[in-house]
Amino acid sequence: MTVTQPGTEPVTERVTLAADASDAEIIATVEAWLRAHLPEDWQAAVARGDLAAVEAIREDPERGPAWFDLLGDSGLATPTWPAEHGGLGLPADRGAVVTETLARYRAERHNRDFVGLVLAGHTILDWGSDEQKAERLPALRRGREFWCQLFSEPGAGSDLAGLSTRAVQQADGTWLVNGQKVWNSYAHLADFGLLMARTDPAAPKHRGITYFLLDMRTPGVEPRPLKQMTGNAEFNETFLTDVVVPDSARIGPVNQGWSVAITTLMQERNGLSGRPAVGPGEADALIARAVGNGAWENPVLRDRLLEAYVEEKVLQMTTVRSFVASGDAAPTAEGSIRKLAHSVLAEKLGVLGTDLEPDDAVAWDPAEGSEAADRFLAMKTYSIAGGTSEIQRNIIAERVLGLPKDPDPERHLPFNERGRG
Amino acid sequence: MYAEQREPEFGWTDEHRGLRETVRRVLADRAPVARARELAEAGERHDPALWSELAGQVGLQGLALPERYGGYGGTLLDLAIVVEEMGRVLHGGPFLPTVGLAAPVLLAAEDPGDGNADGNGPATEYLPRIADGSLTAALAVEAWDAAGGPVTSTTADASGRLTGTVPVVVDGGDADLLVVAAQGPAGPAPYLVEAGATGLTRTPLETLDLTRRAARITFDGTPARALGDPARGSAVLARARAVSSVLVSAEQVGGMTAATELTAEYARTRRQFGRLIGSFQGVKHRLADMAVRQEMAHSAAYFAAWQEPGTPEFVEAAAIARSYCGDAFLQTGLDAIQLHGGIGFTWEHDAHLYLRRARADRALLGSPQQARAELVPALLSRVTIEGVPA
Repeated sequence: MTVTQPGTEPVTERVTLAADASDAEIIATVEAWLRAHLPEDWQAAVARGDLAAVEAIREDPERGPAWFDLLGDSGLATPTWPAEHGGLGLPADRGAVVTETLARYRAERHNRDFVGLVLAGHTILDWGSDEQKAERLPALRRGREFWCQLFSEPGAGSDLAGLSTRAVQQADGTWLVNGQKVWNSYAHLADFGLLMARTDPAAPKHRGITYFLLDMRTPGVEPRPLKQMTGNAEFNETFLTDVVVPDSARIGPVNQGWSVAITTLMQERNGLSGRPAVGPGEADALIARAVGNGAWENPVLRDRLLEAYVEEKVLQMTTVRSFVASGDAAPTAEGSIRKLAHSVLAEKLGVLGTDLEPDDAVAWDPAEGSEAADRFLAMKTYSIAGGTSEIQRNIIAERVLGLPKDPDPERHLPFNERGRG
Repeated sequence: MYAEQREPEFGWTDEHRGLRETVRRVLADRAPVARARELAEAGERHDPALWSELAGQVGLQGLALPERYGGYGGTLLDLAIVVEEMGRVLHGGPFLPTVGLAAPVLLAAEDPGDGNADGNGPATEYLPRIADGSLTAALAVEAWDAAGGPVTSTTADASGRLTGTVPVVVDGGDADLLVVAAQGPAGPAPYLVEAGATGLTRTPLETLDLTRRAARITFDGTPARALGDPARGSAVLARARAVSSVLVSAEQVGGMTAATELTAEYARTRRQFGRLIGSFQGVKHRLADMAVRQEMAHSAAYFAAWQEPGTPEFVEAAAIARSYCGDAFLQTGLDAIQLHGGIGFTWEHDAHLYLRRARADRALLGSPQQARAELVPALLSRVTIEGVPA
């Protein structure tokens, strides 16, 4: 197999699948294609359940990209994209069957491609110019470009539209960008960033934002690792100092970036992850651990574990239901219900994990580490990232129950006349 | 217990939607919450004219009974929709006790799901009368053990005479037929006692849920008929209980949906401090949590209703639903009163009717904590097979 650079001839034929293909048809087609194209040692490793061997191939600097080129050109990496852009044109629930079949062979795209494949992909499909589509989509399909998101700022968290990074158009049409972004996963590795910046400070905050596809190698773009409370640095803060951005990098009209961002933020259901199911989850694993170390004999702990088990199963059922119910429709505020329930559950599980291993709540052997402590420290991610639980409750109350909107006295004020928050 | 890929649940059909609309319309017309309150305050068990109409024109009592028993051959899912709608309007009286608690035992005894459908036992006499509305029934079980089987101190002698007391039987004072769990020669098993049997004493009790009546039942050498194979008695009762759990969960979903809607409507219209109280986050966040519980409870009840009765998947999903819906409705009942403030604490307001229903339903078939304990055997068998993850 030869490694091919983006932009060159396709390395394989596109797979064809009807938009109304049955589960069985999709699975048969994808599996036949995988048997014909997936490297033999990869297939053998999957067959014997050797995930480490599969991971080694996936991460191999030659073989990994070669595989994802092939997958990208087959259309299977982007089943819901339109055929004219290299997808299969499938509805979301059909695309999900493709993705879950790939996942059984560990042949699906990396999780870390989420921002590119899902967020950038759909944003460009919906809002991009013909040039942007031609330049970016083939590489996204093949996973040749790595993307990050540059939305949040130190002063614009829950109130994202209050962002203050400035982009000023210059006489030659280019934009001069200055500001600071935060919570940017992989910004230090990314080729491109999805950037929102303030272009009209005299307009109300939602109406003065413009959206750009920022080349992260532009001078003045400086990601720095941001150490979280876990002690790890999975995120960055990104400093933007006199960054010159061509107008061709703008996506969507000037000052309508908020509408573009809605597309980005609504990419929950896109067929690029598998179908939800009811099955073993984190509570099952905690119960197994409790049985193993004797904590299960404590009736109070046991009932708390069972409570978490019930909640996790009911949340899975709710996810299945929302997937069936929404069909191909755009995601709605119902997603906030599941996000909130998941955040509450994650916290319960995090605390329970340390209750099962009380020593780990104090200290552990550095050579071994402590999964319970790691999970405990990471659990607050879920109730904050992607909109805090307080914001989710507002969304549910306002959009599901029809309660009055939370007062935002600055919503209609020109951005530059609002108080500093 | 879970297959890697499964048929999608929650694929509602037009028939399901039509059934829901029909039942909702009939109940809105004939049995709104105000009517449930009126009956409760008048000390009436139910509206017998409506009962006959539901059996006759609408066909609800026999909806999910097999056609050979005069029913319409509907599914448990169909019946869950009906019971949820009844739960919304706090419909009380004999429907749930008869159709949701007693009939499943008669059905399970007739057809235990092992291919040995009986077809000529006593249930064949009673089920058609339930279907046509001429018979009401109640389930008399003292308590349930950790394996989901009945606990009973009532004994049945060799000739089938019962002696003992069941402390609380919902609708037990009025039902035409009592389905009683008693200790028989081969262990706990279901027996049938008709109203008016000798040695049967029914003492009316005061109920927390005002829409339902209840009685203490005492047997003193009371003649009874064994229902089905006595050796399978405990399994029959456990099987029926899983079905009943799904239906009680559906009723809880209906109740908490209505209580949440009632409260949201109040928050959208009640003003204090110059603004709608629904604009205060202290109010809207509590209501958002109510909405979360309602969605999750709905998923739990109907996921269970979608499973094939009698399968391990069904039994587990039924216990999950009973655990989740029982706790969720209780909390929502409390929150509904809380968010209504003083008006919610008055007799005239409906909020307490929901809280009463929530608390009583949560005790009907064993507590949520008990439901969780029932999950343990299946869970542990999976843990043993899969081993302890590293």
